[in-house]
Parts: sequence; structure tokens; C-alpha cells
Amino acid sequence: MIRITDLRHRLLNIPDLRVDSRHIAVIGPNGSGKTTLLTVCAGIEEPSAGMVRLLGRPPSAVKVGWVGEFPDRTLLFSRVYDEIASTPRFRYRPCRETDERVRAAAGTVGIPHLLDAKVSALSGGEKALVALAAACAGDPEVLVLDEADSHLDGATAERVGRVVQEATAAHVLWCTQSMDTAARADYLLFMEGGVVRHHGTPKEVFARLEETCFYPTMWRVRR
Amino acid sequence: MRVDLEDLLFSRGPFSLRGSGTFEEGVHLVSGPVGSGKSTLALLLAELLRPGSGAVRRHDVSSALLLLQFPEHQITCPTVAEEIGSWGLAPEDVLAQADLLRRGDDDPFHLSRGELKRLVLACTLMRNPDLLMLDEPFSSLDCTAKRTACRMIEERDEGITIIFSHERAVLPRVDTLWEMEAGTLTACGSVPCAIPRWRHAPPYLRYALDEGACPENIRLADAREALCRIRG
Repeated sequence: MIRITDLRHRLLNIPDLRVDSRHIAVIGPNGSGKTTLLTVCAGIEEPSAGMVRLLGRPPSAVKVGWVGEFPDRTLLFSRVYDEIASTPRFRYRPCRETDERVRAAAGTVGIPHLLDAKVSALSGGEKALVALAAACAGDPEVLVLDEADSHLDGATAERVGRVVQEATAAHVLWCTQSMDTAARADYLLFMEGGVVRHHGTPKEVFARLEETCFYPTMWRVRR
Repeated sequence: MRVDLEDLLFSRGPFSLRGSGTFEEGVHLVSGPVGSGKSTLALLLAELLRPGSGAVRRHDVSSALLLLQFPEHQITCPTVAEEIGSWGLAPEDVLAQADLLRRGDDDPFHLSRGELKRLVLACTLMRNPDLLMLDEPFSSLDCTAKRTACRMIEERDEGITIIFSHERAVLPRVDTLWEMEAGTLTACGSVPCAIPRWRHAPPYLRYALDEGACPENIRLADAREALCRIRG
């Protein structure tokens, strides 16, 4: 359960929101507060006022995996292996366990061939995959992805979708500009001007967005 | 005006990029998976990378600009207005075009990612160079901003526009399709003949083709129109 009460932070104004679904997509125009909401939910920023609870706890007490929208800003190490290993290493996990986690996460995300590569030599999309593997290597209880798919081609985005679907996280909070991807979520939040304008199942939310471009292309052609 | 790729070969570690072909005037879309070499090809075309062998030859191209994949790499000034000035453009025109009115005095890094992309994209398009290369122009933009970007691209009535993108929902009308896979550039040809053999077609276009429709171009509207024609 994700619960938000009387949240006021920068442009965000969310009086009351409870979401019990697993795969939650956040959509809306640029500058509507999607990233700010994700940062607050991930515990990266403390809200100026109000309360956020994930699984009944404050975000700082929850293992959160974060994949940011600027892959260059979140990558700390120069070698892919070390970047993915940073998650277990920062938690003082033993070397053997760290190695297993790195290889497992790289395998799941489909980048075992990149483990020895230099981060600086990767393409933009590959960097997003490394950030995802690093987030998965920590077995997060909540996985937060901020437009991680904006640098990915269709096939790779599908793979990321599968990884996220199969992750053991209790919640996956994902913001995306792809309405076709959002249509596959369990629950949607449509944000506008810092406010959650619509929320509900994809069917309920997209029914209110049919006249806008925030509507899945596949739903349009299939009609 | 045209750009020729003559047996282009570029290698870095285990990766090598190969390509031959001619980019004529019009809008070209180069699609391809992550890591296939789209950005590297963009840098080669922009002459920011030197090929190991072969050449990029420009004919009658007097100006060229590359929009980088990550807009933050393109920023050189502490305020949005100064940044626009550094492109040799009038701040008020670009701010209006990028829908960033009253943000002129802000630090570009205080813009959201989508806003920053809109800013750099508007600057690049409004310079209107002969050769315009756009590396992932639609990433991070919402659908409204993508539509505006498509309109601006379509309104360029001359010059060569090369778009490197994996966008799957909002695309402009294009003239030629190209594919990058594992470092090799392949020409699919001119639209509409090239559409059925375009392996990276977005799902809505693939759906229309599978239904037996013949879209005139690659946009969602083209797919819907073609479906209407066969469904009656």
C-alpha cells in the first residue's frame, strides 16, 4: 500500500491518495510534478509538509530501487560491474554474494556482455539498463523508475517491462511518456499542475483522456 | 544538396559501424535498437567523430547542426535567455516556441528534462540549418510537445533532416527510412514503399500492416486512415 496524506512539496498538492496495486504508472505533461512525486516516494527528498507511507513505513525505512531520468547523473563508477555491485557493496554484503547478485541482475536485464565495459563507452539506452540492473541488485521492496524507457527502443523497453513485471518488489512506481506502456499497468495516476487529476485502472483513466494525445496508440487503431 | 556516406567504417573496441548511402533533401528516419550505433552515426555525420576509413561527403551544405541525445550536454550558459542568445537567436521567439515564457532568467538546469529538451530542440530547429541531425528528439517530451516538434520538422521545406529515434507513438511525416542494427546502416528506401519492410515499425503501424492496410506514411493518423479505407 502506498499512502499519501496532505502532501505539499514544491508544486505537488496531494491531499489524500491510497494505492494498493502493484504496478503503478504515473503519466501527464512535462512539468506536471511526476518526477517530484517519484522523488518524494523514493525518499530522495523529504516533503515540505504531509506524509508518505510505503508498506506502512516512511520511504527512508524501505529498500527502494531508483532508476532516474538522467542516467549520467546516477552512475557513479567507471566500470559497469562496479556500478551494479555498488548496491550490495554499499550494504556491506559479502564479496561472493555481491558477485552473484551482480551477475544475476545483469542476466535479468540482458547485459551480461557489458559487465567489463566502461560506463563512458555505453550508449544512452545501455546506461539506462545498467541503472536498472544496479537498482535490481538490491532486491528492492519498491522499484521506482523515472522515464527509464525514454532512451530505449521498443524491444529493449519490452524487456525492461518484463524485468519490472518479474521483480519481487511489492510496488513498481513508473513514470512514462508511452501511453501504450502505461496501458499495461495495474493502476494509473494522471498528473497535471502538481495535482493527481485522474486515477484508477487504465480503462477508467484513459476514458477521460480519449480526446487528448494521452491515449494509447494501439487503442486508437484497434477501435 | 546531399550527404554521401562512402564506405564509412568506424571502430571503437569490439564495436564497429559500417554504412554507405546518400541522404538527399527531405526527412530521414534512422531507427535501431539501443547500442546499435545511432548516436555514433549522428556524431560521424556531424563530423564530430572521424571515421577509421571511408568518408562523409557533404555537397552544397552550407550549415549543419546536431541536436545531442542528452540536452544537458548542449547547455553552455547560466540562464535560459543567455543560452538562446548563444545560438544567435532572439530569446522571446524561442521562449514562445518552446512554451517557456517567463523562464528566461532561470538556470537551464532548473528546467524539467522535458522543458530542457523543448528549449534545445526549438533552438536547433529555429536555426534552420541545411543539414539538421536530431538524435532522439522526442525522448522525455510529452505527446503535446512531440506533436509540436513533428510539426516544426514537417514545416522545414528544404534541407536535409535526419532523425535518429526509437519513438513509437508520435512520429512526423518522413520521406526515407533507414535501419541501424549491430553497427550496420541499411537503407529501407522511400516511403510508402519502404514501410512494409521496415522492421522497426511502431506497434500501431505494424498492426495496420498486419490488417492488410497500406499506410501512406508512418504517422498514427496515416495508419488510422489506411485502416478506414479497408474497413470502409
